[in-house]
Amino acid sequence: MATLTIPEEKYIELYGPTPAHTPSGGWDNGEPDKLVKTHCCFCGVQCGIQLKVKDNKVTGFEPWEEFPVNQGKLCPKGVKRYLQNDHPDRLLTPLIRSEDGFRAAGWYEAMHKTAAAIKDIQAKHGKDAFAFLGGASMTNEKAYLNGKFARIALQTANIDYNGRLCMVSAGAANRMAFGVDRAANPWSDIPLAKVIILTGTNLAECFPILTDYVWRARDAGAKIIVIDPRITPIARTADLFLPVRPGRDSALANGILHVMIERGWTDEKFIAEHTHDFDKVRELVKRYTPEVTEKITGVPAASIIKAAEMWGPAETSMLLHARGIEHHTKGVENVLTYINLVLATGRIGKPGSGYGTITGQGNGQGGREHGQRCNQLPGGRDINKPEHREFIADFWGIPEPELPKQGLTACEIIDAIERGEIKGLLSISFNPLVSIPDSNRTRAALEKLEFFGCIDFFLSETARYADVVLAGSLQEEDEGTVTTGEGRCVRLRNSVSPPENARVDWKIICELAELLGKEKFFTYKNAGEIFTELTAASKGGPIDYSGMTYEKIEQNMGVFWPCPTPEHPGTPRLFEGGKFHHPDGKAKFHAYEYRPPAEDVDPEFPIFFTSGRVVSQYLSGTQTRRIGGLVDQYPEPLCEMHPLLAERLGIKDRDVVRVVTRRGDITLPAQVVKTIRPDTVFIPYHWAGKKAANQLTNRALDPISKIPEYKVCACRVEKVR
Amino acid sequence: MRSRSAALIAGAALVLATLAAIAIGSGGMRHFDPALTGYALGSLMAAFAVGYRFTVWAQRPPSRMYFKRGLQLLFRRAGKSAPTEKPAPIPVPHGAGTLGFALARNFVAQEFIRRRGLVRWMMHLCLSGGCTLAFAITFPLVFGWIHFEPLGGDAEMYRVVALGVNVDSFSVHSVKAFVMFNLLNISAVLVLIGLVMAAWRRLTDAGERATQTFTEDIVPLLLIFAVTATGLALTVSYKFLAGRGHGLWAIVHMVAVVSLLLYIPFSKLFHMFQRTCSLCVSRYKKVGATGPRAHCIRCGEDFASQMHVDDLKTVLDELGFNYRFSGAQGEVHYQDVCPACRRGLLALNQGRTIGR
Amino acid sequence: MTNGDLEFFLDPSRCIGCQACVQACAECGTHRGQAMIHLEYVHRPTGVQTAPVVCMHCEDPTCARVCPADAIKQDDHGIVHSAAKPRCVACSNCVIACPFGVPKMKTELDLMMKCDMCYDRTSVGKKPMCATVCPSGALYYGRREDIAAMRRETPVNEFQFGRQTVRTKVNMMTAPDMRALPFEVLDFLPWEGKDFDPFELTRAGAPDVAASAVWEDFLPASEEAPARCGSHCQCHP
Repeated sequence: MATLTIPEEKYIELYGPTPAHTPSGGWDNGEPDKLVKTHCCFCGVQCGIQLKVKDNKVTGFEPWEEFPVNQGKLCPKGVKRYLQNDHPDRLLTPLIRSEDGFRAAGWYEAMHKTAAAIKDIQAKHGKDAFAFLGGASMTNEKAYLNGKFARIALQTANIDYNGRLCMVSAGAANRMAFGVDRAANPWSDIPLAKVIILTGTNLAECFPILTDYVWRARDAGAKIIVIDPRITPIARTADLFLPVRPGRDSALANGILHVMIERGWTDEKFIAEHTHDFDKVRELVKRYTPEVTEKITGVPAASIIKAAEMWGPAETSMLLHARGIEHHTKGVENVLTYINLVLATGRIGKPGSGYGTITGQGNGQGGREHGQRCNQLPGGRDINKPEHREFIADFWGIPEPELPKQGLTACEIIDAIERGEIKGLLSISFNPLVSIPDSNRTRAALEKLEFFGCIDFFLSETARYADVVLAGSLQEEDEGTVTTGEGRCVRLRNSVSPPENARVDWKIICELAELLGKEKFFTYKNAGEIFTELTAASKGGPIDYSGMTYEKIEQNMGVFWPCPTPEHPGTPRLFEGGKFHHPDGKAKFHAYEYRPPAEDVDPEFPIFFTSGRVVSQYLSGTQTRRIGGLVDQYPEPLCEMHPLLAERLGIKDRDVVRVVTRRGDITLPAQVVKTIRPDTVFIPYHWAGKKAANQLTNRALDPISKIPEYKVCACRVEKVR
Repeated sequence: MRSRSAALIAGAALVLATLAAIAIGSGGMRHFDPALTGYALGSLMAAFAVGYRFTVWAQRPPSRMYFKRGLQLLFRRAGKSAPTEKPAPIPVPHGAGTLGFALARNFVAQEFIRRRGLVRWMMHLCLSGGCTLAFAITFPLVFGWIHFEPLGGDAEMYRVVALGVNVDSFSVHSVKAFVMFNLLNISAVLVLIGLVMAAWRRLTDAGERATQTFTEDIVPLLLIFAVTATGLALTVSYKFLAGRGHGLWAIVHMVAVVSLLLYIPFSKLFHMFQRTCSLCVSRYKKVGATGPRAHCIRCGEDFASQMHVDDLKTVLDELGFNYRFSGAQGEVHYQDVCPACRRGLLALNQGRTIGR
Repeated sequence: MTNGDLEFFLDPSRCIGCQACVQACAECGTHRGQAMIHLEYVHRPTGVQTAPVVCMHCEDPTCARVCPADAIKQDDHGIVHSAAKPRCVACSNCVIACPFGVPKMKTELDLMMKCDMCYDRTSVGKKPMCATVCPSGALYYGRREDIAAMRRETPVNEFQFGRQTVRTKVNMMTAPDMRALPFEVLDFLPWEGKDFDPFELTRAGAPDVAASAVWEDFLPASEEAPARCGSHCQCHP
């Protein structure tokens, strides 16, 4: 029974989060021993940065202006990321649950305890009763290793990762429409676009570096259209702002396409030569007149027409979206209807014309490519396709029948734990207690686990429930590669070694495999050997890295996949010449009728609730809530609401309010602002416990991608004081 | 130029005062040591420069405003009346407490430097303490205010005569005598410690290294070092080398001391006089905090004392700045807008010109 | 400065308020954990417009002229530095007089500190921290011809504060063909008899969401009132 043994305050006192304000060695820490050219550990831009290293500690940073993607630019998280190193909360040794929280343990004891628990549970309840949860902020090497470890060492079908909470809707939709899951264009195409649609992306706060790309396009005369229930910083100066009602995105895209077809702004030649199924879409969107669309979406008909007028006849264009349209029970449908807007104009696969999804996590792209997902094998292969299974089984040297079948997705794994079907869990760099919707149920599930092992560098809120915590490595304590949101594989350099008794993550995994009797499959001497194996495993697959080496990546400051041969320069732009990745080379339109969210407003819960991020925090905050400057910037969640709603409820700015949904409630200060729809409230989700927005959200899943519906549910707001 | 002539007069007056002090203090030059004439002349020149420089500075509009207010507010109760109110028949120095406290805190304890950094504070205490001690001994000696004479026929006993009055006597073998004769050496050691700390900071601190200049920040350290080192060389010469080289060192020391004295008024070391202004500021802030407050005419926030805002308007006028806006709605002085609103207005005005 | 042809250009209208500049400013060698740059919401209740303000480094700095202690020095490159530590008497004259609202009084240190264009960096050919990291280009440090090629706006370094002309080292991007930034205060002030909230003007460029959205009475008056556009709504096709 994995219940907490000491009060929450005690965990905070012992393991943090403690906000660190000053660098290792203080402000007078002197000249560094070296500057290491590497990348930020946070979002999917993977900004180039130089870390100052002194005495095996990261003591500061220096911009890396030569790296072409960000040219020295950083967001506040990137600036302060170095403070996660030499941190007072750092786990320095394995921990084993005790009556007063945890006790420090040796590696021998911790590893043997973990291996014994795995064997025991699997012997009693079957292989699939032990699950593995990975993360999308880890290197490609670790993503590959996690998949291989789960399938060979754990032999469980139930391996998934926290990218399931992030951009799987986009990934699934991309595969359905284009036959491949990657941003179609490099970001360098953004400044060449004449019209940019940003839908469901708070770009300036979640992907701040791309702001410069958008501004460069505007400098060259581009118009931007922002679609969001809130006026985000990038929306403030937008040429057109469409304040969509939460959960209505597919209707809006259908409405815009309606006007485009009516006015003849479609590329019929491109549609005929390079796509399928446009007729179904044409038929469908006939019903989405501007007036009908206005009623559904809350966007004025005139604005819908204006959007079509800007987008339709544009010379070049880019459409970028993020979680705003993906975090829905119709996330895949939303993305596909927006892809329709791109395909209908034929503006894809050309300089300045195309499409991209904005990845939220550090390795959001790479983390979903190398077999860390329940339905996927390395090289982006499909676990359900016999020829793909055969290839990987051969490659690993195991009989195909021993390769587990498709297992459960991340949220489904938590559900299965709650139902008592999964008894044991090993997780790495994942904080589901903060990040999965309906956190009260997540907590109940964690408490039911017979064994819970965690690999992490800080004790996350979830790790408090663990039986064994294995002290792993920070990004800068290991090396490897990550693949950025534009599909560019970049090189992370090792800056320092793990402190004291902590270990590099992949070594922990390999040693665990050894204890499970599978050492012959995990004989790596360094991360580079894992990368070499990963690229070989991807050869001929949908996601082909086989022409990449560390040297090549370093020399080119990143290589875009597909890169099938050593001579191949990589592929920054996909779909050139209208060639898509489906077997017939054509793209597919998808006709999806709008349908309401899983939980819509009603008299009892009359207000839309939506969640998202702030610029100073990253994901569940395990790292960023430990960095003082970032904590000071936005110390705790606020409930954004429009003055019209506030007035109705008798609420003034900074009054304490309670927001209630069918799943839970949260009490927090109100921020009364005119930058949000009057029928909607917004709370950022980075905090834990009583401050967790995910106490409120709905764990209803998209039927295809299994992404939960973070972006819309129904709530009630009450004034407390 | 009025300020210039006032400064010349002030300089001359300070020279005359020093001369008079020498003449009277040394008992009509009877106790003036002719060997120290060079130092005395240097002091007189420095006196002129300090008087001149101080007056030029104190007459600048912002400094003058603080000295004027400092004097006025000394006799006014905090939080009671406006600066224009008629003074009481007999002036009561209500501000004496603030003044005394500020003197002790800022000049003696140098508490504000401690808050900027402990090491920095220790360094400054060593430097200022050592220099003050040295000057406190040497000026009276140079000016003939103090001299030592043998007591009766006994060469073992000495008498200290200050301004013609016998203040003390001691045996040459006593501890007191050792301390008396070595005070200058003790001060030199203090100064040297301070110098090493200062030099270390100037060599290693990235921020200081970026902003320091040779004439402003390095020369004073070199000069103080020259004075200290040559002074110690004198001691070494007569104690351990039987006076060899004493004559040469005496001249070099004198040159170093006079250079330092003349450097003070024209350098960062002049802060020892300029910091008198901080005494006025302490009182000004105290009275301002309890008096009428200025509220921003845009956002309504309390951002300063009304006295401060009004005085700055006067000072700006005197300096030739004119931050007044006028339009159909009336006239506004930019000083009535708080700094935060000024920053916002910058963004608003810029955004308006380009439509965002 | 070794890189005399590099200049600072400020365009607050591009700012996204991310505070990367503030966080980075504190990292500069001369600042040691203290941020000198200002970045605030102009008026958060009505919008997300933010105002990043660095020192404009005036040719004739008002702050230095109103300093009673001669503590604020302008160097040969025109950089106006933080108050000299030995001289600053912490009177706040500079803080209250600066037309751009730049100097910061660090009361805990009894010392005025301000943006010094990262003198430790710019003096050795590096860019200031804030302008290096700024993700939006609101803060830019580079050559005049480069920014002219990139931007539609033109740089000016003259400001008219009522009757006072202020020329600065730092440039402000403004509408093409402007010679000076017209600076207006009266329009943004509340006047007696004026029937609008002057803070509404902070929305320049961004609408109130409610004004640009269609929304209906969302809180039902009674239990029976139908919710609009929910699962039981008839309006979708």
